[in-house]
Amino acid sequence: MDSQTVGASFSRRGVLGMTGGAAIAAALAACSSSGGSKSGGGGGGGKSLKFWNMPWGGTAFNPLDKKITLAYKPASGLPSATYQEIQWANFTQTFASAIASRTGPAVSSGGGTQAFQFAHQGQIAYADNLLDSWKKNGIYDDFFPGLVDTMKTDKGYAGVPYNLDVRVSWYNKSLLAKAGVEPPTTWAEYENVCAKLKKIGVYGFGLGAGTGNNIMAHILTAFMINNGGGLFNAKQEPDCASDANVEAVEFVLGLVKKGYSDPAAATYTTANVYAQWTAKKFGMGWDTAGAAVSVGGAVAKDMVVGVPLASTSGKKGGLYFPNNIMMYTNTPSQKGSEAFLTYYFQTMKSLWTQNTGIGLPPLKSITTTSQFKADPNSVKIVDDWQPIFKTWAAPGGTGLFYNIANTVDGTAPMNNFAQSILGGKVSAKAALSTLQSAIEPLMT
Amino acid sequence: MASSSTGALVRARKGVGVGGRGRPPGSVRRKRRSRFARVFAIFALPSVALLLLLNLYPVIYAALQSFRNGSLIDSGTFVGLRNYTGILHDPAFWHAARFTLVFTLVGVFGSWAIGLALALLLRTRIPGRSIFKVLLLLPWVVPVVVSATSWNWLVATPQSPMSRLFSALGFGNVLFLADPLLAQILVCVFKVWISFPFMMMMMSSALASVDVNVYEAAKIDGAGKWQTFREITLPMISRSTYISWVLMTIFCVNDFPTIFLLTGGGPVRATQSLVVMAYLTVFANFQTGPGVAIAFLMTIVLVAIATLLYRQIRKVDIE
Repeated sequence: MDSQTVGASFSRRGVLGMTGGAAIAAALAACSSSGGSKSGGGGGGGKSLKFWNMPWGGTAFNPLDKKITLAYKPASGLPSATYQEIQWANFTQTFASAIASRTGPAVSSGGGTQAFQFAHQGQIAYADNLLDSWKKNGIYDDFFPGLVDTMKTDKGYAGVPYNLDVRVSWYNKSLLAKAGVEPPTTWAEYENVCAKLKKIGVYGFGLGAGTGNNIMAHILTAFMINNGGGLFNAKQEPDCASDANVEAVEFVLGLVKKGYSDPAAATYTTANVYAQWTAKKFGMGWDTAGAAVSVGGAVAKDMVVGVPLASTSGKKGGLYFPNNIMMYTNTPSQKGSEAFLTYYFQTMKSLWTQNTGIGLPPLKSITTTSQFKADPNSVKIVDDWQPIFKTWAAPGGTGLFYNIANTVDGTAPMNNFAQSILGGKVSAKAALSTLQSAIEPLMT
Repeated sequence: MASSSTGALVRARKGVGVGGRGRPPGSVRRKRRSRFARVFAIFALPSVALLLLLNLYPVIYAALQSFRNGSLIDSGTFVGLRNYTGILHDPAFWHAARFTLVFTLVGVFGSWAIGLALALLLRTRIPGRSIFKVLLLLPWVVPVVVSATSWNWLVATPQSPMSRLFSALGFGNVLFLADPLLAQILVCVFKVWISFPFMMMMMSSALASVDVNVYEAAKIDGAGKWQTFREITLPMISRSTYISWVLMTIFCVNDFPTIFLLTGGGPVRATQSLVVMAYLTVFANFQTGPGVAIAFLMTIVLVAIATLLYRQIRKVDIE
C-alpha cells in the first residue's frame, strides 16, 4: 500500500514534471520562433535589414520612428528595413546576447558608448565610407562642428551622431528675481547668486546623486572641463587629479560647504530633485535639456537655461553625450545598411519637429525649423552651449573610446566620488585621488 | 512452508489478514523496490534534466566566469584566482561584508522579536483581531518597489514628513538618507518593517501547534508568565524559530531591492551590501568576473550559516 501510494504520488509528480518540461520547451521554442519572425530572419543575414532603436522620447517617438523606418523603399537589390523597439531595461545584455548569437541588428542606436564597446569586439562596421558619401550629399556638413569627430577611433568612425544628451545649468527666474540677482555668467557670479538664494531659503547648487541619478557625477566632470580639465589624457588614460580638476572640485566643494547645495542631495533620485524644483527649494541647478518638461507644472514656466559659466581662468566648457547610430558587421548588406542610414538621416527631421521628446538634434538644419525655434531653452542650448561641449574624453581628446563605459559612465566609483563631494567632508585632492585609484583597475 | 506460516503470523500480528496486504516476502519486496526505482527514475528524469538545465548550467557557467576577466559583452580570458584574491584584498568588500552581517542580524532578530510579540498578542482575544492581522500583513504583501518609494517620500528631503517631524521634535535637520550612519539604520529598520509580518505568520502557526494543556499544567504548577514563555513557549516553538531564522537569513543576505531602491548602496557605499556590490560590479562597472566571485563567496558563507542552523534544527528534533 505504502509503495503504491508513493509510487502514485511520484508518478503524478513525474507527469507534472514532464508536462511542465514540455510546456517550457514549447514556450522556449515559441519565443525563439517569434523572435525570428519578428525580426525578419536570423541575424543580419536574412533578407531584411534589422533596425533597433531605443525609446528616446515620449510615447509618440517610437511609433513615428517605426513609420519612418517602414516607409523606406530600398534601391533595387538592397534589403528593406524592419523595426524593433528595445527597452532601456537591461539593454546592454539584450544587445550583447543578440550580437553574440548573430541575431542582432544590422543598424541600431543604443548606449552612448555602446558603439565603442562593440567596436572593441570587432562587431562594428565602421562608418567611414558612409560619412564619405555624406560629404557629397550635404548631410556631413549639416552636423554641428566637431560632432562627427566624437565618433572617431583609431580604426575608423564607430558610429554617426544621432541625438545629443546635454548637461546645462537651469535657474528659476522668479526665485532669482525674488533674491534680487541676475543669472550668473562666471563662477564668481554663480557663488554670489547662490549666497543670495540661500538668504531666501533656496539652494543654488541643485542636483542629486542618488539611485540611478548620475547628474552630480556628470556635473563634476563638466566643471572640470569648464576649467580646462577632464578625466582622461591624450593617451586615453585616467588623469583625475590634475591641477585644473582640483581647482574645479574645490570650487564645487566650496558651494557644498557654504550650504548652497541641499544637504540631503547625495541620495536624491531624479524624482527627489524634481520635487525640490517643484517645491521651489532649488533656485538654480544642473540637469538635462528636458529638466523643465520633467519638473512640469507652474514651475516649469519659470525654468530657464542659463549661459555657460566662465571659470576662474576664464575658460568655458561643458559635458555632453553624443548618442549615436551604429552599423554592425552582421548585416545582410553593408551597402544596404549605409543606404538605409542615408535615407533615415534625410527623413528623421519629424522626430524633432513633432516634439517626440528626443534629445537635441545633431543636424543644424533641424534647429532652423520654426518648431525647434519655438522653444527658447533649446535654442539657447544650441547657440550657447553646443559650441563649448566636450565629451568624457576631455581634455585628452574629442572622440569617445572603449574604456569610458566601464570606468566613468555611470560606474560605482564615479557615483561614490559624486556622493563624497556632496557630503562635503573630503578634500578635492583626496576625492580625485580616490577616484583615480578606483578607475585605474577598471581599465582594460 | 514453515517460513510462510511464520510470515503469515507476523502479518496477522500486524493486523493484516493472511491474504491481505501485509509486507510481502523479501524477494517480492526487492523486485517491487527495483521496479519502483526504475519507474521513479523514468518519471523523475525530465524534471531532473530541467533542473540541471535551468539551475546547474547557469551556476557552472557563472563559476567559470568568476575565473575570467570578462565583461557583459565579452567572456574575457582565464585569470585563475585573481578575481577572488582581488576582492578579498579590497576594503570595499569587507565593508560590504560587515554591513551585510549587521543588516542580516538586525533583519533576522528584529523582525523575529516583533513578529513573535505580535503573534503572542494576536493569540489573546482582542476586538478587531482579524483586521489587525490583515493590516499587519500589509508591509509583507505590498510590493517592495511601492514601499521603498513610500519610505523615500517619508524621509528623502528636509521637507519630507519624517524629517519635519524630527525637526519639530528638536532634532534639527535630520538627513535620514544622506547621513551614512542614519542611512544604515534606516535601511535596517525598513528591512525589519517589511519582514516582521512573515515572522508573525511563522510564529503564529508555531504557537497554534502548542498544546494548551501544557500551559494549564504550568499554571497549576505555579509558573509565572515570563517563566511560561521562557520555559515552555520558546522551547516548544524552537523548531519553527530556527527554520524562520534560516529563511530570513537567506532573505536578508540576498536582499537587493530593499537596499538598492532606498539608497542605491550609498551614500558613498555606507549601505552597500554584498549583493548590491556584486550587482554594481557587474552591471555598473561591467566586471563580470569579480562580480560573480563576490556572489560565490556570498553563497559559500550563506550555505555554511544555513548548515549550522539546520544542524540546530536536527538537534531540536532529536531532543
